[in-house]
Parts: sequence; C-alpha cells; structure tokens
Amino acid sequence: MRFILFIILVILLTSIGEQFLPWWMIAVVPFGISLFMNMKGGTSFLAGFIGIASFWFVAVLMKDIPNDHILSGRMAVLFHLSDYGLLIFVVALLGGIVGGLSAWSGALLRK
Amino acid sequence: MRSSLGILLLALTGLLVYKLDQPMGSLPALGRLVDPINGCWTSAEDADKNFTETISIPSLSHNAQVWFDARMVPHIHAASDHDIYYLEGYIHAYFRLWQMDMETRAAAGKVSEVIGIKGFEFDRKQRRKGMIYAAEQSLKAMEADPRTKVMMDAYTEGINAYISQLKFRDFPLEYKLMGFKPEPWTNIKSALLLKYMADDLTGATDDIPLSYLREVLSPEIFQLLYPESITGSKTIIPHGTIFEKPSLGKPTAPANTIFPHFTKKDFKETREDGIGSNNWAISGSRTKSGATILCDDPHLGLNLPSLWYEIQMQSPGMNVYGVSLPGAPGVIIGFNDSLAWGFTNNYRDVKDFYLVKKVEGNNKKYWFDGQQRDFTQRLEHIIIKGEKEFVDTVNYTLHGPVMYDERYAAEGGLGKPLAMCWMAHRSTNELLAVYQMNRAKDYNSFVDGILNFQCPAQNMIYADKAGNIAAWGQGQFVNKWKDQGKYIMDGSDKAALWGDLIPMRENPHVLNPPRGYVFSANECITDSTYPYWYNQSFVEFRAWRIDQVLDTLPKATIQDMFALQNDNYSVLAANMLPLMLRLLPDSLGDREKGYANQLRNWNYRLSAGKTEGSIFQVWWFYLYNKTWSDLSSVPSLLYPTPERTMQLLQQADSGKVKLKELENLPQLMSVSLRQAADSLEKARKKGLEWYKVKNTTVSHLSRLPAFGFSDLKIGGWGNTVNAAKGNHGPSWRMVVQLGKEIEAYGVYPGGQSGNPGSKYYANFLNQWVAGRYNKLLFLPFSDKQNTTEIKYTWTINK
Repeated sequence: MRFILFIILVILLTSIGEQFLPWWMIAVVPFGISLFMNMKGGTSFLAGFIGIASFWFVAVLMKDIPNDHILSGRMAVLFHLSDYGLLIFVVALLGGIVGGLSAWSGALLRK
Repeated sequence: MRSSLGILLLALTGLLVYKLDQPMGSLPALGRLVDPINGCWTSAEDADKNFTETISIPSLSHNAQVWFDARMVPHIHAASDHDIYYLEGYIHAYFRLWQMDMETRAAAGKVSEVIGIKGFEFDRKQRRKGMIYAAEQSLKAMEADPRTKVMMDAYTEGINAYISQLKFRDFPLEYKLMGFKPEPWTNIKSALLLKYMADDLTGATDDIPLSYLREVLSPEIFQLLYPESITGSKTIIPHGTIFEKPSLGKPTAPANTIFPHFTKKDFKETREDGIGSNNWAISGSRTKSGATILCDDPHLGLNLPSLWYEIQMQSPGMNVYGVSLPGAPGVIIGFNDSLAWGFTNNYRDVKDFYLVKKVEGNNKKYWFDGQQRDFTQRLEHIIIKGEKEFVDTVNYTLHGPVMYDERYAAEGGLGKPLAMCWMAHRSTNELLAVYQMNRAKDYNSFVDGILNFQCPAQNMIYADKAGNIAAWGQGQFVNKWKDQGKYIMDGSDKAALWGDLIPMRENPHVLNPPRGYVFSANECITDSTYPYWYNQSFVEFRAWRIDQVLDTLPKATIQDMFALQNDNYSVLAANMLPLMLRLLPDSLGDREKGYANQLRNWNYRLSAGKTEGSIFQVWWFYLYNKTWSDLSSVPSLLYPTPERTMQLLQQADSGKVKLKELENLPQLMSVSLRQAADSLEKARKKGLEWYKVKNTTVSHLSRLPAFGFSDLKIGGWGNTVNAAKGNHGPSWRMVVQLGKEIEAYGVYPGGQSGNPGSKYYANFLNQWVAGRYNKLLFLPFSDKQNTTEIKYTWTINK
C-alpha cells in the first residue's frame, strides 16, 4: 500500500514540480519523499523507478501520439536508434534510473 | 554505515543528474533535452492542432486578423504600416525563430558563439568581408527613410513581442539541441539578413583567379578561353533594343600598369560554381487566356527550414502575396492585385579588389595617390563557445576593408594585402524598393520602386494586368573603364578608383519587346550596343532552352509554364553528345561501347529515374576535366566555362580553332569515356538512375541528417531549366497569370513551419520533387473573409 502511495506521490509531485522547475525535479521529488516515507532501500529504488519511468513514459506518449510520431521518428534517427518506440523506451528508462537512484539514496539517508 | 552508503549513492546520483544537465562534447544536455515536460517533446506539435486563437497585442494601433489556409500560409489584414510589419515579425518568429537567428548569426560571423570552434573560419571570413560594417551602412539609409524606419521598427517589435513571452519550454527544438537561447531582435539583424543575401548573390568574383590567369596565359589564349561574352548569348535585353544615349561619358582606361603583376608562386587554386535562376514573362498576345503570365524560380541553397516563407499582407494601399525572407520585412518575390515580379541574379561585377601598398615600417598607413593615409581600424571580436575570444584587426582603406593580408590569405593562397571595394558596403536601402514594389499599381510606380534596389543587382522581370511585360537589369553600377575591376588593381593609383555611379534609369531594360516575351536565366545582360562596359561570367544553357521553348509557344498556358520550370532538357547534351559519339574511335572496349550505345537514342532529358543522364553527365565531367587538365597549369577550378568548352570543342572539330589541348579529339573522347565507365561501375552498387547519382539533398541548416532529406527523386542539373543540383536548386517556383482574377501557383522545397516536429515542416517537398504546384489563395482586400479555404483565424485585439 505504501509502495503504491509512494509511486502516486512521485508522479503527482513531479508533474507539478516540472511545471515550474527544470527536469531535475525527477531526482528531487523521489529523494524528498523517501526521506519521509519508511521504506527499504531496494523497495524505494523500485518505487522511484516505476514512478518516474511511468510518468515520463505517459507524458511522452501524450505528446507523441497526437504528433503522429513525427518528432520521435526524427529524434530516433538523430540518436541512431532503430525506431521511435526504442527512443521512448530509452527516455523512460533514463528517467526511471534517475528517479530510482534518488529515492534509494533518500531511503538510505533517512534517520 | 547505512548513511555513508547513502551519501555515496547521493553523490553518485547528483553526479549523474549534473552530467545529464550539461552538454557533453557535441551532444546536448540529455536530461534537459529528453524531458517530456520542458524538453524536445514540446516540439511534438499535435498533428490536428487548432491554430485558431484570440491574441491580445496592446501595441497595435487597431485590431487585426490573420487567416491561415490549409497549408498554413498566413493572410494578414492590418490597419496600418506599423501593424502589418509588426504582425509579419510576430508570425516569422512564431514559425521560424531559430532559422532567423542562425541566418543573421551567419551573416554577422557570430556562429562560433553557439557552435564553438568549428564555426571559427567561417566567422572570420564574414568579419573580414566587412559584413557587419555593410549592415551598419545600410541600416543608416533604412532608418533615415520614414517608410522603412516604420517597417523595420515595427517588424523588430513584433519579433520581440513573441520572443519575450518564451520560456525554455517554448524554445524551438534546435535551441535545446544546441544549448543556447534566443536573444532580442534588433534592426541591424534585419539589415544583416539582407546583406547575407547580397553576399550570397554578389559575393563571388573572379578578380583574383583572373589575375592569376593573366599571368600564365598568353593574351590570345586568354581571350579565346575567357571571352567577356559568349557568342550566341540570348541576352536578357533582346538584341535590337535601342538603349538611351548614356548621360556619362566613356571613362578612359589608364595604362596597363594599373594591374599589378603576381608570380605563379603567389597562387594555388580556387573557383566556385555560380548560382542560377530563371524567370520570364509572356505578353497576352502569346498566351491562351490573353492575360500576361509571369514565372520565377530563383535557384538558391536548398535548406530546411526553407529560406522562403509564403505570406499575404493587406494594409491600406497594399494587397500583396509572395515569399518573404524570415528575418526581413515585406514580400521579396510575388504579386499584388495589379502586377507581379520575379528576380534572378544579375552577375554584373560589383566587387573589386585593390592591392594595398603599405607604408614600410608603419602598420597604420598606406599609400594613395602619392600620399600616406591612415587605415581605419576595426576590431572584430569573435566569441567562441568554450574557447578564448579572438580579436581580429581589420584595416579599412578608402576602397574598403583589407580583406586579405599576410595573416589571412586570399583564394589561391595569395598572401598580399587586398582591399575589397564592394557595392554591398555602400549605404543602400533595398527595403524601400520592397516597400514600393509591394504597393506598386502600374509599371511606372514599380520602376520608381526598383530604382532603390541597388545591391544585390537583380534581373527583374515584370508583368501586369494592363498587359505589360518588362525586364530590368537592376542594381547600382559604376561607370567603369574597360577592364576596370576585372583583375586586381593597384590600390595606390587614383586612376583605379571607382568612378561615377551610372544613373539607375539608364540600367538596361525593355518594355513590351516585339517578340512578346522576356526572360532571364543569369545569362549575359545586353549585346554590345549597350553603352557602358561591364564584366562577369554569365551562364547560357538555361537561357538557350527557355528561349527555344517560349519561341515555339504561340498560345502559352499555365500548364506549359509548369512544364518549362520542370524541364530537364539539356542543351549541353543536345549540342555535345552527337559530336562526342561521332568522334569515338572504333577501338573501344565492350563496356565503353555498351555505355555509348545506350546514349544513341536518348532524348537529352536528365530524367530522374533514367540512366542516360547519369552516363552523359559523368562522361561530360571527365571530358571537361580531361580537356583542360593539361592547360598550362591552370588549376582545376579555373577552367573555362562549360559553355565555352562546348563551343571550343565544336570549333576544334570543324577546324576553326587550333588549340594544343584540343588536337586529338577522338582520344579525348575515348579516354574520358573509359574514365566515365570506371566511375559508373563503382556507382552501380547504389544504382545508376540519375537522381541517385546526383543526390539532390535538402538539408537542415544545422546539417543534422535526421532533419534533412536526401536522394530526392528529381531530375535536372545546372545545365537544365530545372536546375536541381546537389544542395542547390529552384528554391521557389511561381507562376502567376494576371487576368481579371489573378491565378497563381507556387511551391518551395519545405514547409511553412520551421519545427522538425511539425507536420508543416517539409510538407511541400514531395510536390516540389514531382513538379506539382499549390494553388495560391489570394484573398480580396477586406477585413472580413468568406471562404471555406480559411482553416484557422487569429483574432488580434489591441
């Protein structure tokens, strides 16, 4: 239950935070939440990872689908990736790693 | 233990975040870039985006409307000069901001500031040419005239109104990729953009290479290979046109010592291919509809975002449609409710070089007319991203900036101090011409307008609803003595100075010539009866073809015009190939015979999907190079023009010309065919279709292949009317029939949006490749429009 709550909080606060502050809110928010929420390091990582990865994944899709993949297709070529699907996967993965690591370090630093 | 692990992990995470927030080498800051909320994804424009909105702009004098049609061409209706140019600026910035920024940076030599050291050589050249100086000079004239002052100020205001509301999130994609941000617009930037065009169109000059050739060739051979005009030229102003009596006398040429000598060792090599364009107008007596028709297709570098942006602008006294240059106000090429006009480049030489005689032992002075004069020094600060600033001191003489010297060698490696005298450095106001052309009602008011168009000189073709057609070789020219400026001149001699300016009304022109059509395709401008002397190398192939087609069209239609603009017929091939085949010796290899046989029944069209064009062009390439490769050590890029080469080969064949290089024609033909066959065998892997061999590419200004298009299936080459070359070609094809209702068509290789994430980014490209056109929606002058062709509306409240 706490795990789910963690994820929901990450998504909610990051999406608000990113309206006003740069992309690195995806590190600040999971770190902050795990400072206050009693959860083991590994579980925190997973929750932070899932929270940010799913947030970024959905946020990209919300742009990419109405765009008919025009931009993602060109950006995929730019990064020498085989197709836009892979690009979106990599983006979500990158966000997830940053979110997960931040949550983990927050959990470890919690007193 | 736990917390020290935590600190370590936190440090690692922090480092990762920090790294992702910084550019790495040529890579952008990845974290910032891929962020779905603020990064590149904001450029993923909804394919069904509804652009309709209400915008509040308090600095407008009245309310205004902008209607967008299905192709996203804006049709602006505004109540004053200020408002119309304000909105043009706003719209240019809305759709093309990064491009405007980069192009003005390129003009000014400020590219290294955003791309780092790889832009340095380019920037330095721009500074040495005096590009900023040139823009400053013109800005004075533009701001001195109340009409162009309003035009520029309002345009700048509009751009800045758009920029000022942007956050990082809203920046065009390229800013995020390159890691810089838009800066406020200023009037000088628009002036720079116009100078960028002037440089593109009048920047090339043969003075330095010709000075070299003069040293290495005998005068007879020189005349033979590099004649001032080519026989058989279909001049822009038709033969038989009577020129007015010149108001200026013929200046006497000074003694030949005015041209300093150089030694062969002073040079290495260089010469770039020219640029070309076509335009023509047909009188109603030769069209099916009875109305005049005007066509234009200026050939320029093919880039995305496109150089051009289509627009219609209505304000009191003006209803104009055409293409604008994002970064400058007004419509450059187009039509209004009375008339239409189109440009091609006029190659008359307006850029000359002077050898500067420095005062020995004094870096600050030079000799002129027996006296010492001070250089005016201009410090050019080149900011380089990631490096120390570079300061270049450029000396200005009374001729102009010393572009080259021992610290910055000229083409061919000539490390002598050469000052450049260039019309683009003068205080000219081309915007005023744009202002007046856009509003012209008839031939006379049009001419009044273009008389302000000084540099870059253009061949302007004109047609109106009243049935007139005209051609002007328009620009500001100098009354030169024969050969003045053809070679590098002695800068210390007063006799070498540019003399009087030729009154603009005496520029070569013709109104309603008896043959019923006018055209230009960068060919020679006049025959020898024109009273003033001028030079430059002109090209002829396209002009020959256009004349051939127009001459045989007694009742021209719009369809005929489409066909001619997309015509791939090669006059070069038609004239050369029969000779090339006939002269081939019998002793050919099977492979060579095979290629030659494929050409025997060819229609001389460089069609995209056919192989004959490839075989001919590759063969011609080797023949041309083989012909001149032994020519008394002339560097490869200084060879005589293809037109002249063709004529000389024909004359050598008929025995009219004796030239060592052309003695053994059969051998020339067979050796070059063998070389061509070798090269074609290698090209076979990719495919021998002409479009694959030539690879016409439209690339993004950043040169990122992901945002460009290559191997476009388009025919033609520089020697055909459809001059689609590697990265250069018809940048805007326009056909306007000036009947009671104007019927106009156009297409350019791009799209209205500069955003690579928009469906409007390159949506005209396939049409352009296929030679198809868009019908242009020309709305009547009104603040209310009633047509289903309007898709979105901006209601603009003050």
